[in-house]
Amino acid sequence: MGAVTYPDQKVAEFINTNLVPVQMLFDAKPYADDFNIQWTPVVIILDQDGKEHYRTVGFFPPEEFIPSLLLGMLKVKFDHKQYREAVDRTDRLIRDYPKSRVVPEAIYWHGVANFEDTHDPQHLKAAYRRLKEEYPSSEWTQRAEPYNLLP
Amino acid sequence: MAEVRWLNSLEDALSRAKQEKKPVLLDFFNPG
Repeated sequence: MGAVTYPDQKVAEFINTNLVPVQMLFDAKPYADDFNIQWTPVVIILDQDGKEHYRTVGFFPPEEFIPSLLLGMLKVKFDHKQYREAVDRTDRLIRDYPKSRVVPEAIYWHGVANFEDTHDPQHLKAAYRRLKEEYPSSEWTQRAEPYNLLP
Repeated sequence: MAEVRWLNSLEDALSRAKQEKKPVLLDFFNPG
C-alpha cells in the first residue's frame, strides 16, 4: 500500500479531502491489540468516536482503494442511521467507479439504505433484480435473494 | 505530487475528526 496505492495522487487527494488519516505500526501498543491486528496491511474506517465500521485486509490497487473507502464511509452513515447520506454515497460510488469490484456490495447497501429511509420494500427488490441481472455470480446477489420474495 | 498527510496519534486523529466532521482512516502497516 505504501509503495503503490498511497502515493497515487488521486488516492492521496481523496484521503486528505474526505478522511482523517492515521498510520501505525502493526505492533503499536495498545492499538494493535485493541483492533486485533494479526496481519497487515489493515485499513479500518472509524467514526468520530473511534468506533469501527469497516475493515479491509490485504493490498488494494489505487483504482479499487477509493471505492473501498467510499464503501467504508457509507457504512459509517448507515450505521448511524443517516440513510439518505448513505444512499448518496452509494450513488457516487456506483456512478464514479462502475467497474469496481465493490459495486455489487454498494448496490446491496443502496437498496437497504433506501428501504430504511423510505420503508418501501420495492427498493430491496430493485436491488436484488439489479444484482441478479448485472452480477449473477456475486455473493451480494445471493445475500439479497430473499428480497425477491417480498410482495 | 500529493501525499497523504498522515497523523501518528489516534487521539489526535479523533479530535480532528470531530472538528472536521470526517471519519478516520486507520492504517496498520509492517515496514519490513
